[in-house]
Amino acid sequence: MEGFLQALAAGLLIGAVYGLMCVGLGLIFGVMRVINFAHGDFMMLGMYTAFYLFTAAGVQAVFGNAVGPFVAILLAGPVLAVFGYFVHRTLISHVSGTRTASLEGEGHYAQLILTLGIALILQNGGLIVFGSVLASIRTPLSSSAWELGLTSDISVFINKARGIDAIVSLVIMTLLSLLITRSRIGKSLRAAADNPTAATYMGIDVDRAHRVAFALGCGITAIAGGLLATNYPFHPFVGLEYVIVMYAGVVLGGMGSIIGAFWGGMTIGLVQQMSTLILPTQLQNAAIFVVFLLIIFFRPQGFFGRVVERT
Amino acid sequence: MLRIEGLSAGYSAKPVLNGVSINVEAGQFVAIVGPNGAGKTTLFKTISGILQPGAGRIMFGDADLLTVPPAQRAHLGIAHVPEGRQVFPSLTVMENLEMGAMTESGRRDWKQNIERIFDWLPVLAERRGQFAGTLSGGQQQMLAIGRGLASSPKLLMLDEPSMGLAPSTADFIFERLIDIRKQSGLTMLLVEQRVAEALESADHGYVLEAGRVVLEGNNETLRADDRVRKAYLGM
Repeated sequence: MEGFLQALAAGLLIGAVYGLMCVGLGLIFGVMRVINFAHGDFMMLGMYTAFYLFTAAGVQAVFGNAVGPFVAILLAGPVLAVFGYFVHRTLISHVSGTRTASLEGEGHYAQLILTLGIALILQNGGLIVFGSVLASIRTPLSSSAWELGLTSDISVFINKARGIDAIVSLVIMTLLSLLITRSRIGKSLRAAADNPTAATYMGIDVDRAHRVAFALGCGITAIAGGLLATNYPFHPFVGLEYVIVMYAGVVLGGMGSIIGAFWGGMTIGLVQQMSTLILPTQLQNAAIFVVFLLIIFFRPQGFFGRVVERT
Repeated sequence: MLRIEGLSAGYSAKPVLNGVSINVEAGQFVAIVGPNGAGKTTLFKTISGILQPGAGRIMFGDADLLTVPPAQRAHLGIAHVPEGRQVFPSLTVMENLEMGAMTESGRRDWKQNIERIFDWLPVLAERRGQFAGTLSGGQQQMLAIGRGLASSPKLLMLDEPSMGLAPSTADFIFERLIDIRKQSGLTMLLVEQRVAEALESADHGYVLEAGRVVLEGNNETLRADDRVRKAYLGM
């Protein structure tokens, strides 16, 4: 019983961060319908940005070892959003949006090759610049825990860093869903996703909406990456490990559903942690994809996917 | 208000429009009729900037439309109610109307516009919280019209509002459009296959066939024309 609750707690905590990570990608895919293979590598850049902001740019000196990492992680978000904005403007916009709307396949082939190319450049560029030594954002919170006594003899331990990671993820997720559902810019993003042509008739600049979505998606995933880095060491090729999980989360949530991607990521976190109860740790990722296939078998459109694609 | 001169346009090598000239004066209700494939939708898409013309000029007021980016054309006062409705299915009725009001004038007049739209098309008020994708075809058409009106347009362009609707629903939508025009004095440009209804309510009409204007005139001239009577009115 205690083991089950412990795994459940661990799953919920990591699931919240995975959810945030998936939402970054889900936003880009949902609005732009671009398959971004480089998204894991944008996350890797987010991890290193947070790392260097913390260690080299003085965040550690100003905020200390407990609060500092989270300040650095939150700052990495806007940095990567600007980077994503720039990458969209100079590269992605040439093979997506209104420029390719009338082409056969809407430019998907060019998008695949371009984002794969960006991924390779970021990975190998990262190797040159950052080196191959594992890095991590260390905080004393990673090695201490809160004890949650449920009854007199059952208690669950919550790693402090992971607990704060999950809270930060939930706060950002709440702000994002408010932005998407309530604000003018959020509604126009959804309109551009639903029907880019009709959105243009409304006076919405679809390419600009794409740029905003891409920047936002990169920034959000960068923050999720920074949060993961408080517990997991990383290296320039770390993106490959996570990009698969991101896509699984987006598909589980329902292709095109932005909020659904969060629940997809949450499911993956839960399955990953709960599987350790009955399977060896090495099979964690195998368990994820077995459950993934089962869910997709019974609900091919994902949790929140629309059965009918956009017209 | 809208002056189209010698417009040729189409998809890649095949021209769909061939030297089309059309004139819409402020306050007029102009109908463009013609068979399937005559180029009516292509004409609208070119006006809205989704297609680039091969030749010709489009003036809207004093502005040369072809120099205006597509997304900016709505802000000049052109509202396009597209063929097949094209409402935003995952947005609610209210959010769809808000998207119509993305223009500066739409934002400024939002309160009074929404009141008038709900007055003209009460079903939208009843369904305001419902996702547009779950509306019936006729309701979606009304939403598309409401969405166009929400921008406080100078020109409302309607692309086959009767398409795919039951005859009684199509009749109802025509009546609403005529009422809206009477009460608002809005300039309207209508493309239709239901030639009889379109010519009856419009001030001026154009007959488009195979990408060319084959006939134009005011509503009496057109309805009295032998070719129109034989080919379109079944008389």
